Amino acid sequence: MKKIVVVLCVLLVLTTSLFAQGDMESGEQLLKVGMVTDAGTIDDKSFNQGTWEGILKAEEEGLVEAKYLKPSGTTEADYLKEIGNLYDAGYHFIVTPGFKFETAIFEAQDKWPDAKFVILDGEPHSADYSEFRIEDNVVGVYWAEQESGFLAGIAAALQVEEGEFGFIGGMEIPAVQKFNWGFQQGIMYANENLGTDIMLKAENVIYQGSFDNVAAGQQIAASMFDKGVDVIFAAAGGVGVGAINEAKARAKAGQDVWIIGVDVDQYPEGLYTDGKSIILTSAMKYLDRASYDMIKHELAGTFPGGTTLRLNATNDGIGIPVENPNLDADVEAKVAEMYQMLKDGSITVADTQISGLYR
Amino acid sequence: MSNDKDMKTLFRTYRTPIIVIAVLLMLALFSESHLIRLIIPYAIAYTIPLLVTALGGLYSERSGVTNLGLEGLMLVGYFASAITIKFTEQISYSLAIPLGLFIAVIAGALFSMLHAFASINLKADQIISGTAINMLASALTVYLARTVAGSGNVRIMLGIVRQDIPVLSKIPGLGTLFFTQSYWSTWVALAIWGLSWFLLYKTSFGLRLRACGEHPSAVESAGVNVHKMRYFGVGMSGALAGLGGAIILVTYSGEFNGTVAGLGFLSIAALIFGQWKPLGILGATFFFGTATTIANVSQVIPEFGVIPPVIFKVFPYVVTLLALVVFSKRSAAPKAVGEPY
Repeated sequence: MKKIVVVLCVLLVLTTSLFAQGDMESGEQLLKVGMVTDAGTIDDKSFNQGTWEGILKAEEEGLVEAKYLKPSGTTEADYLKEIGNLYDAGYHFIVTPGFKFETAIFEAQDKWPDAKFVILDGEPHSADYSEFRIEDNVVGVYWAEQESGFLAGIAAALQVEEGEFGFIGGMEIPAVQKFNWGFQQGIMYANENLGTDIMLKAENVIYQGSFDNVAAGQQIAASMFDKGVDVIFAAAGGVGVGAINEAKARAKAGQDVWIIGVDVDQYPEGLYTDGKSIILTSAMKYLDRASYDMIKHELAGTFPGGTTLRLNATNDGIGIPVENPNLDADVEAKVAEMYQMLKDGSITVADTQISGLYR
Repeated sequence: MSNDKDMKTLFRTYRTPIIVIAVLLMLALFSESHLIRLIIPYAIAYTIPLLVTALGGLYSERSGVTNLGLEGLMLVGYFASAITIKFTEQISYSLAIPLGLFIAVIAGALFSMLHAFASINLKADQIISGTAINMLASALTVYLARTVAGSGNVRIMLGIVRQDIPVLSKIPGLGTLFFTQSYWSTWVALAIWGLSWFLLYKTSFGLRLRACGEHPSAVESAGVNVHKMRYFGVGMSGALAGLGGAIILVTYSGEFNGTVAGLGFLSIAALIFGQWKPLGILGATFFFGTATTIANVSQVIPEFGVIPPVIFKVFPYVVTLLALVVFSKRSAAPKAVGEPY
């Protein structure tokens, strides 16, 4: 038994040193960019995919060599294992999408000081939140989701003019909450200043509690529609898929219902028969731009290590899609006007639950 | 006196339909409550994939083959229907969905032959073979989805649109509850349930199939080919689980995403909870479906606000555990299930 273990160990050492050798021979011209996926697959049409598309864009331009790894679970240990695997394979620029990576990056920044890390939707901190520290090899990226939700809320309110709205969130985490609070402020703003009459009941603002329960998304959306809701803002990943599906079936049966998409332009996801889509507009945050820009910075030698970036209207990090076939031209013009006002700071959107907001 | 006896035999023969009708009438009494109206139609929609899959499990286990691979077989049907519908819906939307369901049935049945071959011809451990089906299906479907459709998530444009059934939906009470806003797949599934009950309990073929799960050597000595019967049982489980997976796609999900979220295992639980009987399965799956639906929509319905949603979420599982404890003494599992023959 012992002999076998010894033989195996020797083999292991031999193979690893061989592979390490191989790496050195492959040359150093291109920056090797790695990504570790969050829960879900690389083609989730949402967070992972958006981040990966930015990296792919850089690869297609011949700037970098890219690779992603999918961890077997979503614990800190799973993430660190894959970060380590990427590092060992020569990928020293690692992008991690999602707040779940915060503690893993907190460990990784000290463990691999010569690697660069980009964490989206978060910043490194210790597991018990006692220590927040960001080293020079890490950039944290946040989006102003509230501004994106605000614009989508205004766009939907202007288009529908009179009706009842609802909100379905995934997990009750800051990124989703900010979408919700911004959305509510958008509706309030439109009601007070733009002459719309939109109702939002407290009972129709909910967090489902996961990002993958498709059945729950469909059933919750169905209940809301049954109770008279016309437009649902679904910031909930796979839960939103169920909501979109329910809305499609109802629209096909002749009901006037809509969904507001999230993170990316979900218009194509909402297509049903005759080229019509159930997606009124989408509250976007430009994930691909963040990963692409960070790579460009790294290549130019201007990697903003040690800082936390906040992407918002002023640096074009958020917004609604450029084309919204379901919005009227004057609605789009008005939203563009609001966007400019966000940009120059003449209106601000709170990123906390100010009084008057639900949940 | 003899009349009374006749009534008793009559009741015993038609116990299943009598109980079903009684429960329907009970629900009809409460159909005016808006809570029932908000929950029952969606609970039915959620129940149907479970019901069909558990029925598949019933065929397999009654013929004497344990089938832990229901989850994987559902996934195969889920995937097969998604791919079929995606590539045919552009041509004809109305034909794409029935075709997708049909292909899912075929794919599920074919895939289950792996399990049948391993557990009937090779006399392999059926637990391991079923587990292998699950692992193989989850990896293979995602791989094929990426190769064929270019993404691990395959979205169809439109599932089945709910419709009111003409005439029947006008019945006061029952009509509003069961015949308004229903998917046609629900009626197909319920027809399959009725036919299965008839086939298994009212025909000699059904008696032989059930006997294969109780005492295969006795059946063999009566001149019945046990292997063929078991192949039929496993094949039916694959076909129906495949249909169950496809129904998930065309009713509430609308997208193949590489998992059926444990519904296959929940179906096995329903099979056990339902004591391997069609009526028991119908009751158990409807119970699970209702409990899960209440858990899902409780947040949107203010009346449920006082109870934390987590209570509803664990409810079906806790009740299953309790039921298993209670029923373990007099379990009605087929005697020879799990034993190679």
